[in-house]
Amino acid sequence: MKHTLHTRRQFLRTSILGGAVSWTIPAFLERTFFTLDAMAADSAIQTPTGKDSPILVVLQLAGGNDGLNTLVPFGDDAYYRARPNLAIPGAKTLRLNDHFGLNPKLTGLKSLHDEGHLAMVQGVGYPNPNRSHFRSTEIWHTASDSAVTEKYGWMGRYFDSCCKGEDPAVGVSIGSQTPQAFAAPEPRGISFARPEQFRFDLKSASDRDAADEFFRSVNDFESAQMDGGSIGMLAGHADAGGDTLDFLQRTSLDAVMSSDKVAEIIKRSRPGASYPSNRLADSLNLVARLIGGGMPTRVYYVSQGGYDTHSNQAGAHERLMEELDSSLSAFCADLKAQGNFDRVLLMSFSEFGRRVHENASGGTDHGAAAPLFVLGGKVKPGIVGAAPSLTQLHDGDIIHGVDFRSVYATVLSKWLNAPVEPVLKRSFPLLPFI
Amino acid sequence: MLTPLPSREWTLPAAAHLLNRAAFGGSPEEIQRLHAMGHAAAVRSLIRRGEEEDLFPAPELVPMNYRRIAKTSMTPEELAAAKKIMQIQLREQTQEARAWWIRRMASTPFPAREKCVLFWHGHWATSIEKVKDPFLILQQNQTLRAHAFGPFAPFAKEISKDPAMIRYLDLNSSKVGHPNENFARELMELFTLGEGHYSEEDIQELARAFTGYRIHPVTGSFRFFPKEHDSGVKKIFGKFRPFDGDAAIDLIVSRPECAEFLSAKLWNFYAGEKPSAPLNELLASEYRASGMNTGDFLEKIFLSREFYTSNYLRRQIKSPIQWLLQTCKVLERPLPDFRMVQNTLGQLGQVLFAPPNVKGWDGGRAWVSSSTLLLRYNLAGRLVREGGGSMPDIEKILPASASPQQACDLLAWRFFQGPMSTELRDKTLHLLEKNGNSPAARHDIVHLLMSTPDFQLI
Repeated sequence: MKHTLHTRRQFLRTSILGGAVSWTIPAFLERTFFTLDAMAADSAIQTPTGKDSPILVVLQLAGGNDGLNTLVPFGDDAYYRARPNLAIPGAKTLRLNDHFGLNPKLTGLKSLHDEGHLAMVQGVGYPNPNRSHFRSTEIWHTASDSAVTEKYGWMGRYFDSCCKGEDPAVGVSIGSQTPQAFAAPEPRGISFARPEQFRFDLKSASDRDAADEFFRSVNDFESAQMDGGSIGMLAGHADAGGDTLDFLQRTSLDAVMSSDKVAEIIKRSRPGASYPSNRLADSLNLVARLIGGGMPTRVYYVSQGGYDTHSNQAGAHERLMEELDSSLSAFCADLKAQGNFDRVLLMSFSEFGRRVHENASGGTDHGAAAPLFVLGGKVKPGIVGAAPSLTQLHDGDIIHGVDFRSVYATVLSKWLNAPVEPVLKRSFPLLPFI
Repeated sequence: MLTPLPSREWTLPAAAHLLNRAAFGGSPEEIQRLHAMGHAAAVRSLIRRGEEEDLFPAPELVPMNYRRIAKTSMTPEELAAAKKIMQIQLREQTQEARAWWIRRMASTPFPAREKCVLFWHGHWATSIEKVKDPFLILQQNQTLRAHAFGPFAPFAKEISKDPAMIRYLDLNSSKVGHPNENFARELMELFTLGEGHYSEEDIQELARAFTGYRIHPVTGSFRFFPKEHDSGVKKIFGKFRPFDGDAAIDLIVSRPECAEFLSAKLWNFYAGEKPSAPLNELLASEYRASGMNTGDFLEKIFLSREFYTSNYLRRQIKSPIQWLLQTCKVLERPLPDFRMVQNTLGQLGQVLFAPPNVKGWDGGRAWVSSSTLLLRYNLAGRLVREGGGSMPDIEKILPASASPQQACDLLAWRFFQGPMSTELRDKTLHLLEKNGNSPAARHDIVHLLMSTPDFQLI
């Protein structure tokens, strides 16, 4: 614990400010320093990953995306039999081959596919699928077996085993909550929705420097507070995840450190493409600016909600697909303009697909396996995995052909150059999308 | 059974703990008053009293009649204009409902019931984002209030027939031959038994019991369509009977896991962490002994020694609503204007009538991330320094005449309901000595003490 805190403080002192700088440095001087040293500090900011290191963006389609209406099996009669109202006619789909076409709204993804930057992985799921949003999301976030409840996330375990001593911003989640995927015994990763609010504001203080000094010193938990009697007392607490106050102190320290850096990057960067106006686009725009600005972040986490289409699915799902497609197109254009497209791999997932048969409310209920997509400059394009059967079902649901942890293992091993077993606890067959 | 707290352990910090957890905290004087009542009377005053309903008249709304709009013979332009008006109405009325409830929480003399209503709102989580009708949401809110401290089984039956819930979990299109499983699944997974205590078959069969539940389009009340109800025999938990919804709920509530699931959830909400298995056995038996009457059960908890053990004191992270209301109470200032309330709760992640999903708010550590923590620090500054005519009275919070040592004691008790750590106290003393006692300097120190991890805890 103490070691980590020390490392974090050390990181701030040496990497960001380029040398040992006292906490008591007046705020205005610090800001001046940032501005003057912005370019020079660039190399320091890059230390943990370097300018050429790979970046992973994880996109969660929350609510259970209807895989069958995303990657449409227009060559399969069973699809049309199961969905008299919701099936998309083959002629309308954006054909990838003789059997599958993309949802008609995914025109940007179709272009990426044609350029050779998009892979679709078919029938992704896990044995004994759980149809609860929460449980299944937890399974995807923690990479556990269906019957095992695992507390920590797969990204958290990756940070733990491969990114020791690095910046807390090694993982960045866009949103106000930290995803369970980042959970770890010593959690790392920061989350925020709007960068301009990610900053301690002392504009109204009567003595700004004194207030800033006080604030920074009470959020500097290396000293007496952590060394003294209180830590022993805290350690006796029953909560396995550590004491609540200790958790708050770590979060506070991370916030203070990372907010300085984010503010600096946002100040310097401009969006490199024109984004549509929706939440997902805002999130991806922010990610692109942080990547372009040189954050040492290895994993970004974004999400799009609304996929739980139990009723009146047709229009709702179409709008979601359109929003998804236009946001991703802008994001990719931005990364290409930056010259970072080859450094970035984006993978989508959803906690489950929908049931094959539509329901009486013009919607679909919770299902199981579904396709996901992977895109980026270095992706090997095409459709990976066998087409799932729509007639041989388990409880009305598609049986998975690819374990989702095979996707994770591929990303870890072939993209992040990380060992798989410390993160996923065993090995999984690798897939050919990278 | 739980052990009662010996009367010598009914101290000021115990009273502060009770007021923090059972309600939304209070000023030093309010804690003093609660303590002076004695423990049993203090608990009774929280659980057993209710304000007159006409003290907080609810906004008078009517159901949004989407269907009537779509059916009239309008031109596409007229239809689009009408839809736009509906959207504005939806937004404005939702805000009106929110403003009403948050004001009620902040100023009722009976905040413990509102806190319990907030618990149930997170439990029977229903969102305006899907329901799209403030009338229905407000109607549900009144149902929650009427049953908050009452027995669970009738509450569950009432909620299964609550039109907002019916719309939220798609019961309104569930009919014989085509049951929609959404409500049945969440009823068992999230509302009564918890995951793993039922089979997929139980869900499919249970869904048949709730077929035919509908919403009256004009009055917004529940109605039952026998023709769309599946009156056949269902097999639920191995029992073959022609269950209807109420009978199915009786069966579910009688399962031992139901009391266990709810006692653990209530304890987690009020005590701040999940109970150990042996403790939850005690809690569940207390809950059963009360006839699963939540008010009686909470009274037992608030009188128990277990609730006041040091494991639970100052260990719970304030929810955004708790943070906002308690911040106003300790600053002895009114709620800020509704716009700021709305922004605050939105940014901190707890918008009333819009829980993130049917599981409600995760709570606990999920309330805090690096981003929401900085937001709390910044918003505290605004609540200390802004508010036009309703600025906090800094002279009451921290008299200019107080010595730095006295000032530390006063601030620690008001903001943390306990002593500061040695280090925080030293730094506070240092700043007080350095900055003097001008009102602006005192505002600064108050803001800074609220911009600490410690202030996030109750």
